[in-house]
Amino acid sequence: MTRLHPRSAVVRVARGALQGAFFGFFAGSVGAGTAFLPALSVPLVAVFGALLGGGYALARYLRFRYELDGDTLSVESGVFARQSRQIPLGRVQNVDVEQNVVNRLLGLAVVRFETAGGSATEATLDAVDESEVDRLRNYVRRRERETAAESRVETDAARTGAGESDAGETTDDAFAGDDPGEPTGALDAASPDSEPDGDLLFEFGWRELLTYAVVSVRPAAPVLTLAGLPLGMDLVRVVLRFNADLVGVSAALRPWLFGSPEGTRLLVFAAVTLTQFLLLALAVSVALTVVEYHGFRLTRANGDLRYERGLLRRYSGNIPLEKVQTLTVRENVLMRRFGYASLAVETAGYSGGDQQSTQGVAVPLAARDEVSELARDVEPFGDLDFERPPERARRRYVARFSIAAAGLTAVAYAADSLVFETGYWWLALALFLPVVPAAHLRWRHRGFDLDDSVLATRSGFWRRTTRLVPYYRLQTVFVTRSPFQRRRDLATVGADTASSSSLLGGVARAYDLDEEVAVELREELRRRLTAHIAMRRRGESTADDADVGDDPNADEAVADDEAATGDEAMASEDPMETDDGAVADDEAATRDETATDDE
Amino acid sequence: MERLHPRVRLLWALSSVVRTTVLAAVAFAVDRFLVALPQTAIAAGWLVLVLAGVGRALLAHRIWRFELQDDALFLIRGVVTRTDTSVPYVRVQHVDTTRGPIERSVGLASVVVYTAGSRGADITIPGLRPERATELRERLRDLAIESEATDAV
Repeated sequence: MTRLHPRSAVVRVARGALQGAFFGFFAGSVGAGTAFLPALSVPLVAVFGALLGGGYALARYLRFRYELDGDTLSVESGVFARQSRQIPLGRVQNVDVEQNVVNRLLGLAVVRFETAGGSATEATLDAVDESEVDRLRNYVRRRERETAAESRVETDAARTGAGESDAGETTDDAFAGDDPGEPTGALDAASPDSEPDGDLLFEFGWRELLTYAVVSVRPAAPVLTLAGLPLGMDLVRVVLRFNADLVGVSAALRPWLFGSPEGTRLLVFAAVTLTQFLLLALAVSVALTVVEYHGFRLTRANGDLRYERGLLRRYSGNIPLEKVQTLTVRENVLMRRFGYASLAVETAGYSGGDQQSTQGVAVPLAARDEVSELARDVEPFGDLDFERPPERARRRYVARFSIAAAGLTAVAYAADSLVFETGYWWLALALFLPVVPAAHLRWRHRGFDLDDSVLATRSGFWRRTTRLVPYYRLQTVFVTRSPFQRRRDLATVGADTASSSSLLGGVARAYDLDEEVAVELREELRRRLTAHIAMRRRGESTADDADVGDDPNADEAVADDEAATGDEAMASEDPMETDDGAVADDEAATRDETATDDE
Repeated sequence: MERLHPRVRLLWALSSVVRTTVLAAVAFAVDRFLVALPQTAIAAGWLVLVLAGVGRALLAHRIWRFELQDDALFLIRGVVTRTDTSVPYVRVQHVDTTRGPIERSVGLASVVVYTAGSRGADITIPGLRPERATELRERLRDLAIESEATDAV
């Protein structure tokens, strides 16, 4: 078992001491203020707090040990409640590395291991040095490869069908795409440790980065800007005064500006100010994006996607291609106009929380054909030809938007006749103008396609989202019909996967299909799920090699059955066995068993 | 297709009475300690919600159906938005039977089927006789094993 890097102990003790001192100072002040403690007690309590905080941080550091051994990552932690956790490496979905400014100066990095189970990151190593990061990454990767290869050898031996395994390898090569020269054997044999860079798939230059920053509008930016305004209140006042001068509000009126009846001038003033505000928000948004995505690089090494990004806080991570659950292509109106798109690769590993996790990681912005090429690299699929919802769905959207417009008009009328009494409430009727185009656009951008290997669904005009779900990743399939849909004989088909982004409603949905089509689609998806799982089990995978190894083959089914039956019992009482013989069982067990052995 | 035990209507009606009563109690407390609310309105609201709950229970029972098909568990439910769900046995992670306090009092049990998915990660079949619930759980487990799940993720 190894400890984390000693330098990280210094950082953590310092942080703990600081927090403790702050809390102590606060508590001391409160005590001095209310309980009439002597004033001297404030620094004393603060020092005591610092000692306590620092000591606890040190104890935590000393208690935290980890080890990579065989197929398992073992982590021991906890000062009072002690925890020891074992994670089978085959189950690791992603390995993410984060370096904030302090850690970069110290040459340290935080490593996170994600598995499919659980609601939080399964293991966080805070922090280890950079060479250790590489060692961990390569080790995890190599073990995943080796276990895959081992069970594959067994599979092949059991099958004695050399032809089939050849076929398997040919597809691997085809899949490798960019580097067809590299033999598949290189994955486990040749040089898994080296290859620091791998193939560069995608890189952000300054131009792309700025383009991306401009077209990807962050909804949080205006809020953040608004929250930040009080910090520069003087400047804000100067600008407001300048605006007021610009529209020619007399000096005497200025103090009552917001109550003044100078309608048009006020309107211009508001418009100018709002424009300035939005420009500022845009600048903030651009700055945030630049800081977050500076130096973005996506590479592929050994069947992993690896990304790096960030100006101040650097992120990097590995996404094993064989763990990919869903691909999501997003294009907002601007991006579509200029032929750009973004691609997110989602695994079951991310637990949600920060934005980067929930969105999945891949290409923030690239030319559309580049994106589809990358997507095909990850999960091969053919040309997509989306089938739109029936025409009556469009009538439904017209009706729906009309109701919304009517509701808003009614509100405007009520507000006008009761409060403002301007008599201009009928202006709200203009809301009916965009109803038909909006309905048409919504209808036009919705659709689904049953490709040979993926289900593709698409929706959204402002931000069109295309989801590609490999059939063998489907979980449940559901068909919903709201009362309004039932009236028009429509239904929505949803295809759930284990992808973590679907927690936030990111399920692939084919909206407003004809009832019969929807039922047919449901049945077809079920059929294809079964067929594709069987295909992968036989090793006819088109997507990758490792998951073939993941699959326990039919001959071992009995042993697997036992493992699966014992699931719950095993999960609750015991972490994974780690000897090599247990590999097949590991694979058969459910994700619940990612072996957390909490106390 | 199999339907739920008729007594599930009683179960749902009772649960809605309990929920509504809690709500009414909160409203009453607000009336008592914070803002004055008309007592008759609270009583009327209680009655309306209870009646709605009972109506919903009756309808839900009429709609609810489930079936063990050859490759998936299939269920139909939903009073307002009607949903049918297919849970392929390959994707079943584990199966629970549960019995809440109200369920116990009317002598019923539920089966909960878990998948690794996220939207419908746990699917509950309520209103089963306890023996039937156990039997269903065992059956689902066997089907899940037969289907030889891989990672199930």
